[in-house]
Amino acid sequence: MDYLLHIAIMAVIFMVFAASLNLQLGVSGLYNFGQVAFFAIGAYASAILSTGGAPIGLSMLAAIVVAALAGLLISVPLLRMRGDYFGIASLAFAEMIRLLALNERWATGGPMGIPAIPRPEWLGMAPTSLVQFLVIAAALAALALAGLGVLQRAPFGRTLKLIREDENVAMAFARDVKAFKRRAMCVSAAAAGLAGALWAHYLTYISPNDFTVQTTILLLLCLVLGGKGTIAGPILGAGLVMVIQEALRFLPLAPELGRLVAPIQGIVFGAVLVLLMIRRPQGLIGEMRE
Amino acid sequence: MYYVELLISGLASGATYALFAVGLTMVYGTFRFINFAHGELIAWGAYGLLLFMLPPLSLSFAAALAPALALSAIIALGTERIAFRPLRKKAAVTILIASIGASYVLRSALQLAFGGDLKSYPVAFEGTVDLMGVRVTHVQIAMVAAAAASFAALHWLLRKTRIGKYMRAFANNPDLAAIYGLPLAAVRIAVWVLGAGLAALGGVLVGLDSNLDPFMGLSGLIKAFAAVLIGGPGNVFGALIGGLLIGTAENLSTAVISPGYKDFIAFAIIFLLLLFRPQGLFAGRTGVR
Repeated sequence: MDYLLHIAIMAVIFMVFAASLNLQLGVSGLYNFGQVAFFAIGAYASAILSTGGAPIGLSMLAAIVVAALAGLLISVPLLRMRGDYFGIASLAFAEMIRLLALNERWATGGPMGIPAIPRPEWLGMAPTSLVQFLVIAAALAALALAGLGVLQRAPFGRTLKLIREDENVAMAFARDVKAFKRRAMCVSAAAAGLAGALWAHYLTYISPNDFTVQTTILLLLCLVLGGKGTIAGPILGAGLVMVIQEALRFLPLAPELGRLVAPIQGIVFGAVLVLLMIRRPQGLIGEMRE
Repeated sequence: MYYVELLISGLASGATYALFAVGLTMVYGTFRFINFAHGELIAWGAYGLLLFMLPPLSLSFAAALAPALALSAIIALGTERIAFRPLRKKAAVTILIASIGASYVLRSALQLAFGGDLKSYPVAFEGTVDLMGVRVTHVQIAMVAAAAASFAALHWLLRKTRIGKYMRAFANNPDLAAIYGLPLAAVRIAVWVLGAGLAALGGVLVGLDSNLDPFMGLSGLIKAFAAVLIGGPGNVFGALIGGLLIGTAENLSTAVISPGYKDFIAFAIIFLLLLFRPQGLFAGRTGVR
């Protein structure tokens, strides 16, 4: 039973994370391969504040704000580039954040990470059980996903899609292309920060190893598999990928076989990503195009 | 003396970064996409050597080197055929994502075959020589010599041979080269085999210098990116200068900042160059391009 709850919690967190990337990569056509940076910033901000004694609700709120600010800041240089250059620069940014976490021991614990991050308390009582954590996480995730969904359907999201399709047309309609992209990155970073904070409080331990390119690839797979640019796509994709990944972890295998599970899963996930690009770049749920 | 030693070890690592960068920059110059899986060719070259040196084959270091480079070249050609060629008409970002997927496949396959721990070769080249009071290891000399020989050979190939001319033609203007009926298939093979072979050679040298690590491809890729960006994408000899610059900058930086931030240099260079000079520091001068 705990397995199922664990899988559900991980899936919910990654749904928010994938949906946050979707606002950039899917809706706005900004190929951000460094979204894990905002996830990490959210996780570390909330972990540092809450282990320092701040209430968890406040820590998570601060994590969202810090991640949003980081998104706003980094959007200034990043948005001067486009296409694959934007992608590589964002990846470099994410690795710089990881190196910061690895080296600034006074704040992040360096390679040892931050242990004993508190779980939220259930209405001021004892620390939460898995069920209670799932309820909290799901409620926050639903809020975030709904918010992102509404934004995506709103004129804001439709303008982003117009920019993705043709910037010149968007400019001809007197839209400030950069300002729209900047706002998209800011909102997207905030959502990723929420996902990171939830993740830190769920696992109660974080270290720089959690925020490598491997996480970026996993996230990319969630989004591309589900269908980028759609509202349901990242939810479906993150659900599928997390169920497969976390279920495999609990297979009752002998240790010498168990050691092989992660590499085989990596081969399959990577191959699926290649195959999707060749056969079905729109993902399982294709975006409706009029 | 301390600074001279840092400079020399910087030049030696820079020489391997330059070897890594050749394939990345040639693929970009000829096929116009960033091959994120290029790092895994470095790692597979290094591990390939180990594979041929361990039982059942148990070849000597010298005998195992050629098959290891060949293995990397075969992997490169296979990835190109399976993952990249079907996408050649798509946007560069689509191929970039496919190559990210391919890198995950290759890296995971490496971990499946060899495990996740650090490995080292069953031979050791631990000798050092004393050059006017400065200690230089044999491996560092090998690194510089390998890069010097490789780039000299590359120069000869690109300038003096027919296939080299074809390669430059396709890099300069693929449509025009195709209209003239120049052999794209031969150029494609040459680019991938050369790039993978040199990457594998660099991987072997790094393996000799330190350890074999399943993630060595990823860190090598980052250095190669930075070298390519300094030299200007598509510029082979720019990548040589780029590699040497990054190697020395990284190593000299350890004198002033914490060694934990050594890798930060390459990322910062990537970020700043993409931002301010995406055409490279030496735009206008072109190599293979």
